[in-house]
Amino acid sequence: MNIKALIKSLLLRKFTTGLLLLQLALTLALLVNSGILTLDTHAKLTQQTGIDKENTILIDFVPTSPDYADRDFYLSVINRDIATIKEIPGVIDVAPSNQRPMQFGGFNSNMHDVNNPEQEQLNNGLRYVAEFYSNGSLTNVFNLKLVEGRQLTELDNVANSNEAPIVVTHSLAKALYGEESALGKVTNRGHIVGVVEDFKIRANQPLDNQYGFFKSQIFTGANWMNHYFIRVEPGMLESVQAQLKDTLISLQADRDIREVASLNKYLEIFFGDDIGLAKLFALLCALMVLVTAISSFAHAQFHITKQRRLIGIRRALGARKRDILIYVLGENWILTVFGLIVGVFAVVAVNMLLSSVITLNKPSLWLYLLATAVIFISGTLATLLPAWQTSRIPPVIATRSI
Amino acid sequence: MLRYNFRLAFENFRRTPQLYALVAFTLALGIGLLSANLALVHTMTSDPIPHKSDKLFHVSMNTWPNEDPHEQPFYILSYRDADHILNADMVKNTAVIYASGGYIRDLQSTEASRINVQIRAASDGFFNLTDAPFAYGQAYQGNSGYEVVIGDSANKRVFGGGNSVGKTLELNGANYTVVGVLKPWYLRPLFYHATEQAAFNNTDDLFVPLETAIDENLPIYARSSSTDSWQQISDTRTKNVYYLQAWVEVENQQQKKEFQNYLDAYSQNLKDNGEHPNKIINQLDDVNAWLAHLNIVDSKVYAFALVSFLFLTVCVFNASSLLLSRQHSALFEHGLRRAIGASRMHLLQQGLVESCVLGVISAIMGLLLAWCFLQLSVTFLPQLQNLAVLDYEILILSFILAIVVTNLSCLYSLIRTNKQSISAELK
Amino acid sequence: MLSMNNISRIYQSDTIKTHALRDFSLDVKQGEFVAVTGPSGSGKSTFLNIAGLLDPFDQGEYQLDGVNIQGLNDNQLSRLRNEKIGFIFQSYNLIPDYTIFDNVDMPLRYRGFSSKERKYRIEQALEKVGLAARANYLPSQLSGGQQQRVAIARALAGEPKILLADEPTGNLDSLMARQVMEILHQLNQEGATIIMVTHDPDQARAVNRNIQIIDGEISDFGVYAPQQNIATAASVEVDNATV
Repeated sequence: MNIKALIKSLLLRKFTTGLLLLQLALTLALLVNSGILTLDTHAKLTQQTGIDKENTILIDFVPTSPDYADRDFYLSVINRDIATIKEIPGVIDVAPSNQRPMQFGGFNSNMHDVNNPEQEQLNNGLRYVAEFYSNGSLTNVFNLKLVEGRQLTELDNVANSNEAPIVVTHSLAKALYGEESALGKVTNRGHIVGVVEDFKIRANQPLDNQYGFFKSQIFTGANWMNHYFIRVEPGMLESVQAQLKDTLISLQADRDIREVASLNKYLEIFFGDDIGLAKLFALLCALMVLVTAISSFAHAQFHITKQRRLIGIRRALGARKRDILIYVLGENWILTVFGLIVGVFAVVAVNMLLSSVITLNKPSLWLYLLATAVIFISGTLATLLPAWQTSRIPPVIATRSI
Repeated sequence: MLRYNFRLAFENFRRTPQLYALVAFTLALGIGLLSANLALVHTMTSDPIPHKSDKLFHVSMNTWPNEDPHEQPFYILSYRDADHILNADMVKNTAVIYASGGYIRDLQSTEASRINVQIRAASDGFFNLTDAPFAYGQAYQGNSGYEVVIGDSANKRVFGGGNSVGKTLELNGANYTVVGVLKPWYLRPLFYHATEQAAFNNTDDLFVPLETAIDENLPIYARSSSTDSWQQISDTRTKNVYYLQAWVEVENQQQKKEFQNYLDAYSQNLKDNGEHPNKIINQLDDVNAWLAHLNIVDSKVYAFALVSFLFLTVCVFNASSLLLSRQHSALFEHGLRRAIGASRMHLLQQGLVESCVLGVISAIMGLLLAWCFLQLSVTFLPQLQNLAVLDYEILILSFILAIVVTNLSCLYSLIRTNKQSISAELK
Repeated sequence: MLSMNNISRIYQSDTIKTHALRDFSLDVKQGEFVAVTGPSGSGKSTFLNIAGLLDPFDQGEYQLDGVNIQGLNDNQLSRLRNEKIGFIFQSYNLIPDYTIFDNVDMPLRYRGFSSKERKYRIEQALEKVGLAARANYLPSQLSGGQQQRVAIARALAGEPKILLADEPTGNLDSLMARQVMEILHQLNQEGATIIMVTHDPDQARAVNRNIQIIDGEISDFGVYAPQQNIATAASVEVDNATV
């Protein structure tokens, strides 16, 4: 194959060649950036949360009866629920909670050491500290290791907020007291009896910057959504999950069980938008590849119709069918190679364009190579049929006068 | 001549159907995808109440009790401040609202099951201000009392539809009489509650008088912020709890100005009495300014719209090069036509007619595909459900887009045809 | 060199069978310059296509440079065309997108020579037709005669056993035609075997063997005396017409 001559002849058709190159470059750019989006989404779904996602079940429910306005009634329902769920084989521990981890809003309050209220002005995060109301065992259900001090118990249920024992996350303790031990310190939300490892409270913050505290006080806001978290033994998730809804309803029917899902599943729901967008981009990629294939196919097809005679001449001059096949494919390959080179710039440009609207990682080499392979293969496959037809042009065409 | 050109166009399509089909299909893909996204962006940026959007103003105030406000001004208001707005008599209508929810049932029904409804606690001016469309009955009068207005879908779900005025429903153990039933009511965006990502939610199912909702402790399903701790919603009447949103409708600039002065005087008065230490900022945003301020257009939709635009570009490139190869094989015919006396203008007209016919075909295919893409978008991103509307503006826009884009694709080959010398091909 | 024995070629449409060649036999010796004439549709082109291995035949035997064509596959035929035959077409058949150099290069590529060897051969061939200076031109930048000389260079570059020329001057004016013919004669004198289809009786007479094909059958006028000159050509033309 005479590559130089092929390139020169492509250069003679600057406009067409330019169009094809741009097209290839943009296709590459979209493929790579869609890949990035998919990987980003995948990373969100599989990120470290500090909680055992595989073996933790979340239940969301909303009371539907006015009876729940009576706190004692509500507490009796919750205590019975917990006792019953604990009996289910495979359940390690269960705890109520006023809110979920892994979210954007939720129940938050400001927090500072009682002697140092100015802290909040210096660290804005201290104005939105997530508060988890439970029965003392939520840290155990989340399987959060103690950094210092002790876990909460049901006996820590103290109404007065300043004196209530609380457990704080490690990063919150550091934000409040630096390297000093936080144990025994008194905050506007209670006195600290324990510090636990960080876990993912705010979805958009890194794992080592998660301010939250736990209180041993069960949330009983009638009309509000409430939650249970259940940690199960490995492998038992599905069997436990399957009976939860019926069990709860049989205990007390006046509530709307909104969700029973593993934390893994919850992440999928939580990041549903990202998954949806990634799917849309995947759809677009498929369309792009289709259009590229159409382009390769049509180009080979119609360009060759025009070149029938020239192909005949080549055959007359001794080209084998295989040579013609390679010649037609070669043109596609050369265009692709150049398109992919121009594509590097397009990839970066589209990445910058999209980054101005959504958060998106930077392109990586292997994604580029992958997209390259996809374009190469689809282009080759689409060219193969017309190329094969072309190779069947009989050499005798050459001597026919037009 | 035009008829002859049409005949030639169809003759050409018939001669190389494969090529024209690919061109039309490629362009239709690009147009379809972009139209679908334009439809989404269009709905997101449209004016939900065009006949008076410039007369409705969202009220933000700056009365946070200490020197450390979250935002200045704050879009949610305390009961005290909202109540003051309700008392303003220089404006046409006022609405003070908060979002809530609950489970209701038809008191007459023997079924125990309750239906989950989206509730709006609203002062009585809300209905006139938003032009809520009544099918039966009317708005409740005053902000207390156990009378409610029910939305169309909840009416169907709870009472089986029809005129339910006079029927009674139960919510959290309290009974309410229905005094009004709304027609299906679409507000895109839901301007009266465009914060907290609620801008594209449905209109509410049940409207409860504001004071009653507070008395009945109906929960706040939106942002609330406070410096005091509180237990019952009724606590918020006397504490610094910020959760209400307020809208006013004015008839003219004069009224707006009077209202602004009214608020400023009030804020200044509060400040003088040591109720808050902050600057006097009372911000009135009309509907479109408010929506623009909130930047409600989903960034994902924007991102995808951008990408679909690039995709359309690719489709145009592709179609151009396909048509160019068609033009190459027609060189002889064009030369011949010129030789027997067709002017450049004739050939140009012929080409334009052909590309317009092609454009119409692409447009029709494109709109069908746009509809499919919208359905897919909704499947992948369910929160777009209320946005996936192909209204006539988008239909027309897409149609024009298709014609323009097709002509653009044909442009280069037309120029080439036009420049070609007669002799070159006939030699 | 080239030996055809009772070759027949039949074109068959739905209802009609056409004998393009009928029991056609011909022997061409090394170094001969053969002119083939005959009216349109007589089978000249079919003969040239078969001789050039472009078209199959239905019956008979064909040996090219000692190789029996019978039963060879497409790849082998391509190889033979490339190595043993040089084509010169009426309409030059240059690749318009390629430079002169690349056009001459084309058959050498299929032969698989090294780039050094190709370069040398291309330069030699272009030298022979007097176009070495135009190597980087595109065909469209040359006159018809020059284009045909490029086509000759292309045919020569691979040092074929036999040159097949299909009305090589059919598209040229007389001055250019003469230049092309001079080159062909010179090549013949240097030992090349040439078969040329032509309409031009002057050209036919100027070569050392003249055959005529009519209705797919051959009339061989045998070998002309080399000293035969153009002045006596007129009477021969009359002879041709009366056969």
